[in-house]
Formats: sequence, C-alpha cells, structure tokens
Amino acid sequence: MKQQLREFIFNELIFVAEPDKFSDDDDLLEAGLDSMGIMRLIMHIEEQFNITLPDSEIDPDNVNSFNALEQWILQHKT
Amino acid sequence: MSTATDDIIQILNPSDCFTLAMDEEIRQENMPGSQCGFALELASAPDSTAIEQRIHEFSQRFPLVFASLQQRGKRFFWCQREHKHPLFHQHKTTDSSNEAEFHHQTVQQLLNHLQARETIPALEFHLIQSANKNTFLMRWIHPFCDAKGADLILRYLCTDDAEQRKQFDFPKLEPLVNQQLAKYRWWQKVLMFIKAKRYISQLDTLQSIIHADTSKAPKQLNFKTFTLSIGQTQAINKLNRQHVGLTGGSLYYIGCFMRALNKMNPDQAGEAYCTPYAFNLRRNKALSPLLSNHVAPLFAQAPKSLLPDRAALFQHLKQQNTNTIREKLDYAFLPIMWAASWLSLAQHGEKLRNSMRTGTDRSSFWFSDIGNVNLSNASFFNSDITKIYHLCQISSPPAIAFLSCQFNQQLTLSYNFIEPLFTEEQIEALHKNVLEELLTE
Repeated sequence: MKQQLREFIFNELIFVAEPDKFSDDDDLLEAGLDSMGIMRLIMHIEEQFNITLPDSEIDPDNVNSFNALEQWILQHKT
Repeated sequence: MSTATDDIIQILNPSDCFTLAMDEEIRQENMPGSQCGFALELASAPDSTAIEQRIHEFSQRFPLVFASLQQRGKRFFWCQREHKHPLFHQHKTTDSSNEAEFHHQTVQQLLNHLQARETIPALEFHLIQSANKNTFLMRWIHPFCDAKGADLILRYLCTDDAEQRKQFDFPKLEPLVNQQLAKYRWWQKVLMFIKAKRYISQLDTLQSIIHADTSKAPKQLNFKTFTLSIGQTQAINKLNRQHVGLTGGSLYYIGCFMRALNKMNPDQAGEAYCTPYAFNLRRNKALSPLLSNHVAPLFAQAPKSLLPDRAALFQHLKQQNTNTIREKLDYAFLPIMWAASWLSLAQHGEKLRNSMRTGTDRSSFWFSDIGNVNLSNASFFNSDITKIYHLCQISSPPAIAFLSCQFNQQLTLSYNFIEPLFTEEQIEALHKNVLEELLTE
C-alpha cells in the first residue's frame, strides 16, 4: 500500500530529489503536500482502495506521513 | 505577418496560448497586455554588480529570455531577435522627500509600459533605489512564464551556490500540458472536452456580478499592497483552517473577498460572484520547468444568495472544489485549451472571457494565492528582504485582481485595479472589508 502511495505522491504531487531517502515517517506537509495535493491524494485513495474518507477526518495527523496515511486507510478498510 | 520559419525557437504550448489570448484581450482595451510583476522590498542597497552578473548567467542558461513573440500563419512562436536587449535596469533618485511615491510610480510605470507584443522583452529586471528604500522588480509577460515559473526564476537568482543553481530546470521537460494530454486517447480527450464544456455552461447559468464602473474607459493599472503583522497572519491562518479545513486553503481568501466586494454595494446587478484560479501542473517543490505556462483554469463561483451566510458560503466553495477534483475537471480543461489554441486570438479571448449565456464577463475578479514564498535565502544579494508582492495587468471588466502571498510569516495582500473603473478610495474601503472578513471568528 505504501509503495502505491509513494508512487502517486512522488510522481504526481511533490518533487523530492531522493525519494528513496524519504522515510515513512518523514513529514509530507513539510515536503510540499498542499491543500490541492491533499484533495487529489484523497480522491486517489478513495478510487484505488474503494473506501470513503470522511471530510471530518482530513487532519494533519492523518496525512502528514506515509505511516499516518496507511493507518488512516486501514481504519476504513473492511 | 511573416511566414519565415528559420528564426523559430519554439511554439507556444496550449497553456501559453491561453495567457496570450488574455494578453490580446487587454491590448484590445489599449492597455499594455498581460504584464506581471514580482517585487521584493529590500532593507538596504543590494550588490547591483552581483545581481547583474547573476542575471547574465541566467540569460546564458535560458537564452529564450531574448526571444520575440511572433505570429507565423495562425500560430504563435518564440523567435530569434536580431539583437539582444538589456535585461537589467536601474532607476535611482536623490530626492528623499517622497521615496515611497517614487518607488510606487516607477513600478506602476513599468507595469503600464505600452509596447508592441513583438518587441517587448519577455522578462526584465529592475532595481529601484532611493536613499532609504530599495525595490527589486521582475517584470514578465504572461505567455513567457506563469507565476510559479516567476517564483522559480527568483529562487534561481537568490541561490548563491552555483551547483544548486544547476539543478533548476533539470532535466529538460516537455510542456507539462502536452505531457498530460499525451496520456489520453483521442476519445478520452473528446469526453473530457464535453465534460469541461458542460461545467462552463453550468457556471454560465448565473450572470456574474461586476463592480467595476464599466461606463469608463480603462486608463492605467494601479495597485495597493498591505502587509499584515505576524499576529494577524497567524490569526488568519488559524481561521482559514477552521473555516475551510486542510483542503481549502485559497478558498478562504476567495470567500472573504467575495463578501468584502458585496459589502461595497450589495445591490450590484448580477446573480453570482465568479473567479478563475490556476491549477498548476508542476509537482510542488519541483525546480522545473521554469519557463512557459503549465496551468489550467478552474473557477470558484458562489450565488449572491449565499453571501450573507459565511458558514454556508465556505461550505459551498469547499464542496464545489471537492466536486471539481472528484470529477477530474481540473484535467478536463486541458483538451479545451488545446482546441482553443487553434482559434484566432479574438475567438479564443471571447470564449475564455465571456459567458456563453449572457455574453458578459464571466469573472467578477481575478485571483491568485501564491502561498508561502520559499526563497533559498531570506536575503537578496546581501540585503534582507522585507516584503514581497505580486502584480498583474487585468482585462476590464473585471478590472480588479486580488493577489496574496506569505513571506517571513506575514501575509501581503496586493490589490491591482484599473483606473478609473476602480478608484484608490474604493480599494481602501474594500481592504477594510477584506481585513474584517479575514479576521472574523
């Protein structure tokens, strides 16, 4: 799952010079994930994993790293 | 119009053509076309020799800066010029009685400079100096680059390390609009085209509210900028997050500006406020591409009936933005831009600007939120940067643009307006309303 998220985020949303050195705990917001990027990421996750992420949960704590994103997705996967 | 092709350097991409159509619309009003500015106010005199050297290096690396915009047949191209023009200009005064006025007037004159499209330099740098005030202005014409590209050019100039400067615009990329379009099959492009047209038809069911006094002819661009304190900026950022959440960002400014305009004259004719905003195809923090345009337009529209209720207005703008991304309308505009690039400039401009239903202007105002300006240095050639603001020419109507950015934890609001369709007094009153809206709990 994280690999899929990595590919989408690094290919479509933010530029990171050395993606391999970007850890699963590194801060995606610091790295340049902005409001438009978060919107697109959520739409991508909803499509790919066939889940709905509630607006009320769109919070920095859920989107600021690959680990946080994975936890958030898992909470909504049956 | 020449038919020669030997001097062609490159063709304009669909996004460049989109900004060129706006350039033409502004020129049709006897105004200077779509000139834009990026200004840095500096705490002390910068090292002008070093600036000149860095600009020279930049021009060696990006020789397109000397190109001329020419029409060949139906299409437009960047072409070789016979002679290179100077890129760096200095403006000085020894009169210290009204320094602020000298700086404002010089910037205003540069943005109002009328010159034929074929001869005007695509990009220029100006250092404006007086005893106690220093302004560095980068002026460009929109078909040459978009605001993000201008931001990257400035970052390039500010980067002291030569090795780091080499990372800009590397690797060389095809225009991102073309790259994205190449991902779709022809029938997908047709479906996207239809989808985007439906979206525009839907917007056009409501007539846009225009506050400019359109009985007057446009004479000149004027601007007013206001930098808020760190405390005010923090409060606004907090309220922004509270009202539109993590995914709304710029919508807070748009909603507040709509309400502020409405307060100026709640009885102004029209059914909705509508503003275009740019969807940038670059990845965030990418250092390429610098030149050309890599954006598509999106719209924020709110019916007048929603304006009195702040919560309902922000909820509406947020929902509209969510639907736009969910339905992939951001990408749907690319085939429209591609198709429009084959139209004459007059036809392109009309489609871009006017409502299909009423034939009047679709935009109530122009808007751009640059967000945080992250330069590699807080100083510029040995001088601290105290303020950054943006400028742009606008078609009339709407004759007003609202531009925002944050630098050093401070928000700067730049109001660009066409006189006499708007007056300075109106803009001051408008800013009071905007500030009140931005800071309302």
